[in-house]
Amino acid sequence: MCSGLTLRHPSEGVGTLSFALSAGTALVVVGRNGSGKSTLLKTLAGLLPARAGSVSMDGVEIAAMRPQARARKLAFVPSTPPRGTVLTVQDVIELALEAGGHQADATSVEQSMLQGGVHPWAQLPIDTLSDGMAQRVMLARAAAQSESLILLDEPTAFLDVVGRREVMADIGQWLNVGKAVVLATHDLDAVQESGWADRWMVMRSPSQGGAVLPDEAFSSHAAKSMLMGEE
Amino acid sequence: MLALFVFGLFSGPAHLAWSEEWSALLGTGGATAETIMWQLRLPRLVTAVLSGAALGLSGLLMQTFFRNPLAGPGVLGVSSGATLGVALVALGGASMGGVTGIWDMGPQVMGALMGGGAVMALLGLVMGRFRSRTALLIFGLMVGYLAGALVTVLQAGAEAGALQAFVHWGMGSFAHSGWASCAIMVCALTPAVFWSWRASSSLDMWTMGALTAATMGVDERRLSWTALGMAGVLAALVTAWCGPVAFLGLATPHLVRAAGISGRHAAMLWPVVLTGAAVALLADLVVRLAGVPLNAVLSLVGAPVVLMLIVGKGRIFSKVRNR
Repeated sequence: MCSGLTLRHPSEGVGTLSFALSAGTALVVVGRNGSGKSTLLKTLAGLLPARAGSVSMDGVEIAAMRPQARARKLAFVPSTPPRGTVLTVQDVIELALEAGGHQADATSVEQSMLQGGVHPWAQLPIDTLSDGMAQRVMLARAAAQSESLILLDEPTAFLDVVGRREVMADIGQWLNVGKAVVLATHDLDAVQESGWADRWMVMRSPSQGGAVLPDEAFSSHAAKSMLMGEE
Repeated sequence: MLALFVFGLFSGPAHLAWSEEWSALLGTGGATAETIMWQLRLPRLVTAVLSGAALGLSGLLMQTFFRNPLAGPGVLGVSSGATLGVALVALGGASMGGVTGIWDMGPQVMGALMGGGAVMALLGLVMGRFRSRTALLIFGLMVGYLAGALVTVLQAGAEAGALQAFVHWGMGSFAHSGWASCAIMVCALTPAVFWSWRASSSLDMWTMGALTAATMGVDERRLSWTALGMAGVLAALVTAWCGPVAFLGLATPHLVRAAGISGRHAAMLWPVVLTGAAVALLADLVVRLAGVPLNAVLSLVGAPVVLMLIVGKGRIFSKVRNR
């Protein structure tokens, strides 16, 4: 899905990335702060133009899509849940179904909330929920919106241990129903524990050789040592 | 609201009898009564309704767009910009106040639109640079000071007649507008309401943050310029005809939320428009009965409302500090 991609990143020299992601697989992107993880995700989401190369889904280039068409192909979850909005959990799920081009009737809203485990809070404004609860609503939102690809930018950054585990479990469920996932995270242990990580990408600085996409048999342990520079 | 409108229609300093008023409305009464009803009272009431609705919607759009519950035409300096525009025209020579013909009001309207528009455009351009929500409010405050200073300079050099008319205009009033301005207001308000209704889902998504909204299908540039443009034009038009009307834009969406209507924009749109109109009518009625200027009435009620919002819930300020 991604070929000869060069990111528009201040440090440059991240290198040229090429990879394909098929349904039901996850790509875990790790790297130090400022290594270009967020830039990669925003480029994949079509929000930032690439310096060179292209990102496409099902043969259509993402950068050429209109926002509405793009929203039907992929969903994005930033690290902080929204604050200061008056929307309720149910409102958010309704909007997500609408954005994904799905039916937003009561039954589908109910079903999406059940699948995401957020139905007990249906009528609560997300502003009144804890960070962990609000982030799970955002995950349910992404799942309701996109059937094919979900991009997550450090979704567990502000969560406690239980919250992290819940997020990872949600991602595991999506993979089972055939969604593809790109997850940028520092949370190597939680990913390893969840057991669904198919592929890894390590974002390194140019002096360390740029970004690499190791093959299978790569683990969070290997990722950790690679990040520490002990190859 | 209807009751307020009817009450406003049948009361006034001229002490007309019911029958006189009624027949004047139907066009069968005396010439004086007919003038009072058709040229004074009705346009004034219609102006109040349209202005209140426009300011309410403008405030709602600004609060949504800036994700800031304290945003509003007055707070962000849009009214100040429009005031400066009007001052340039009015104190710079052109005729002023009490003129109801569209062609005489033309320069003043242009002045207000350019002044308000300039502030809106500036806000749109620098918005990305604000680190916190408080910065936005300080921006509005500073624009207000700047515009105020320039207005003072213009005032110092103005001749007495123009100055008096300008000061009078600054107190705010729904009385100096005519049918022509009402027609223009309808032309601005109708597409604004229609767009807000059509784009209500996009506006909802926008409250979740620009990044989330953009990946949910919102065209960020389009939404930004449309929302800012409409909010700015509505506020500037009202300012041109009625003066820098205080608090209506800021307070109306909060009154609707306080009444328990909140959540998605589709649900808030009509209540905000109607509440704005009703509050404007009520305020105008107080103006006519008590003989106090409009902005004094609105500030006496509006300032405590905002203070209560800040102190009472304590929520608005925690949110402001949050981002």
